[in-house]
Amino acid sequence: MLRGPLTKALPCARILSPVKTLSTSAINNEKFEVFIDDKKVMVDPGTTVLQAAAMVGVEIPRFCYHERLSVAGNCRMCLVEVEKSAKPVAACAMPVMKGWRVKTNSEMTRRAREGVMEFLLVNHPLDCPICDQGGECDLQDQSMAFGSDRSRFTDIDHSGKRAVEDKDIGPLVKTIMTRCIHCTRCIRFASEVAGVDDLGTTGRGSDMQVGTYVEKLFLSELSGNVIDLCPVGALTSKPYSFTARPWETRKTESVDVLDAVGSNIIVSTRTGEVLRILPRLNEDINEEWLADKGRFAYDGLKRQRLLTPFVRNCQGQLIATEWEDALIAVAQKLQTSEIAGVVGSLADAESMVALKDLLNRLGSEDLYTEYPFPLEGSGTDLRSSYLLNNKIARVEDADLVLLIGTNPRFEAPLFNARLRKGYLTNELDVGYIGPKVDLRYDYEHLGESTDLIKQLASGSHAFSKKLACAKKPLIVVGADLLSRPDGAAILALVQQLAAKVTTDANVSSEWKVLNVLQKAASQVAALDLGYKPGTASIRDKKPKVLFLLGSDEGTISRGDVGQDCFIIYQGHHGDHGASIADAILPGAAYTEKQGTYVNTEGRAQQTLTAVSPPGLAREDWKIIRALSEIIGEKLPYDTLLEIRDRLGQVAPHLIRYGELEEANYAEQATELAKGVSSNLSSEPVDVKQKNLEDYYMTDPVSRASGTMAKCIQAVHKQKQSKYYEEAVN
Amino acid sequence: MAKLIGLDKLANYFRVIKHNGGILGSIKTLLRTDDLKFGTLVGVDKLGNKYFENNLYFYGRNRWVVYHEKFGLNYDGSLVPSEWYGWLHYKTDYLPHEDPGRPKHKWMIQDWSENLSGSDKQYVPYGTTRTKVEGWTPPK
Repeated sequence: MLRGPLTKALPCARILSPVKTLSTSAINNEKFEVFIDDKKVMVDPGTTVLQAAAMVGVEIPRFCYHERLSVAGNCRMCLVEVEKSAKPVAACAMPVMKGWRVKTNSEMTRRAREGVMEFLLVNHPLDCPICDQGGECDLQDQSMAFGSDRSRFTDIDHSGKRAVEDKDIGPLVKTIMTRCIHCTRCIRFASEVAGVDDLGTTGRGSDMQVGTYVEKLFLSELSGNVIDLCPVGALTSKPYSFTARPWETRKTESVDVLDAVGSNIIVSTRTGEVLRILPRLNEDINEEWLADKGRFAYDGLKRQRLLTPFVRNCQGQLIATEWEDALIAVAQKLQTSEIAGVVGSLADAESMVALKDLLNRLGSEDLYTEYPFPLEGSGTDLRSSYLLNNKIARVEDADLVLLIGTNPRFEAPLFNARLRKGYLTNELDVGYIGPKVDLRYDYEHLGESTDLIKQLASGSHAFSKKLACAKKPLIVVGADLLSRPDGAAILALVQQLAAKVTTDANVSSEWKVLNVLQKAASQVAALDLGYKPGTASIRDKKPKVLFLLGSDEGTISRGDVGQDCFIIYQGHHGDHGASIADAILPGAAYTEKQGTYVNTEGRAQQTLTAVSPPGLAREDWKIIRALSEIIGEKLPYDTLLEIRDRLGQVAPHLIRYGELEEANYAEQATELAKGVSSNLSSEPVDVKQKNLEDYYMTDPVSRASGTMAKCIQAVHKQKQSKYYEEAVN
Repeated sequence: MAKLIGLDKLANYFRVIKHNGGILGSIKTLLRTDDLKFGTLVGVDKLGNKYFENNLYFYGRNRWVVYHEKFGLNYDGSLVPSEWYGWLHYKTDYLPHEDPGRPKHKWMIQDWSENLSGSDKQYVPYGTTRTKVEGWTPPK
């Protein structure tokens, strides 16, 4: 795989790329002045006309140019006049020269734009009324703003308009290729960001087509982003097709919780229904991308929902009841201190703190998370042991990353996109311990044995030299690996290794070498609140009552607690937890409540209520609060502000939304881990999600989603295709 | 002459009072039906509702029904049995017992049935559109 697939895909980009011009003008790094519409602006050498214009707030229309992709310069919409230049220049690709006077609104510029627009519209169908892009279409907007006010297109009776056959590229992206204006944004995204070199162009002139060359699906965990990138309606969302117009929907800014990255999203709703989910710009987390699970699993929010409370009757049958009956039935059982609570992957911090307060008042300290984490050494007392300490965004700056027992491509697709960005633009080298997986970039596969970590920590492995030489090395450990029985030993070894690398490579104290990549959105908040990781001790204790707060991973089953145990499940989907429960309390999903989540780097964020919970379902912390009053242990908070006050008492960073709370005691954690036994099991390092089909269904929402099921089918279908090739790495 | 000075109106007024059973009876009727009329009793149906006709009133108001007292204020149009419906709504000028050619089919509702609107037995049409949110049903 070439590092710069762009140069392979678009030969013209080599000439036009600003990166290239940057290197040539590196001799003279002083700022110089240019004039955009007679406004003076000081720019660095290598700045393009379009960037310079953006600095003074002049927006130049464009179709193919995108800040996060390489420059193609083929749509010609950004043509502007430069004084003393005979021809208009393409603003997106042309670096400004000293003293240039650019005219973005002159007669020549306007005529150039009109001409380009006319050519584009000649080959574009007039199907705006039935086009899903209507209302958010760049072509629509720009033809209104910059196009000619009349048409000269008369050929409709003779040869007709150009038409292109639609391509089937998967269950998520719908293609109407006649609408394509050949901006090649999707091609550049696929090859640069997603790392799937499947899309490309064939033919030239009016025969040019964007497609996959052979009959093949465009399968990637980031494929949905090409829908946002497409400036016209050529690539639209299949699940959202013909559903709504953008001006009809209400947009709510929220946070994705289907992985631990905490991507920022916008939830579009109409008539109390989630219609689609789009990414929201956040440079620190997801840039402007969103992984497919977060984007398309929303139809799972409408299926398999718990709409009423259920209580098991004497025949052993779950019967739908009213809240009053259910709460009283549950409250009668809760009059004991032999009670344990387990929180699942989608629980918000508010409900977790309410559950913890309630169980503590009842005299129980048995509060667990579903995902285990080693408790030896400093355990979860020091946050540096379980956070992605170095921040998601700073991964791009690293020059060497060692991935241990994690497949970031599926556990955190946007983190992997950052790694790939670093790989492409920052000469990042990646080492990998674990089973061979396809990360969509090259890595050095060290092996699968846990002994490798020992060797690296002692410095006897060949890769140790690389680690020592690196200027900004990173070690990323998967949370799954640490959940093994010998997880404590692995964590201790990795901590030693990180300490060694920190001293060897002499990195600054700002740069945190040790990083743990979490998989569940609730895990960091749960550990911050003092939940104990893992459910193993429940099996030994055999509590009389088990309270499951959205735990659906099946880490605890009926057999673990015995038939006498009364199991209460509170959550939003009828999944594993509901099937073993004796009483079910319907809660709200992440689009239906205002809840706090902390992502894998320790950044607290909140979801906002986009729709109200369906049926009798209620916000989770309110259910626990109501229950506490019936039991007679009334919790002292009635409003969201009051419970957030309580959250702040337990862990102040949980209510500082958008801010990242760093962990600073990595050294002490390493010291404390020295006493941990270093007996490693001979079991090889493994990851749970190896292939693309393992990515789509990982939580109750995505398991209920029909779209995600279709994706898995599509992956299986692709494997039967004669064009399918196993990934080589 | 009597008509000219409106004495016939006065006569009608007294007839109305008499028809409704004196002053007290008239007040009662007014309370119950918001209307005072007089006319010929043309028939009584099986529920005891009385049917009147008086062509002094204009077409549309010249035939009316006074529901049986047992219904009190709780009467509605569904209390008119099918055999009286036609005459009351000017579909026919024949009274039920005068009408020889009235069809009788098996499918026709022979008996009067009570209007159940507002009770828990009321008819509620069901939709065939899918619900926005599909609920989970516990496994049997």
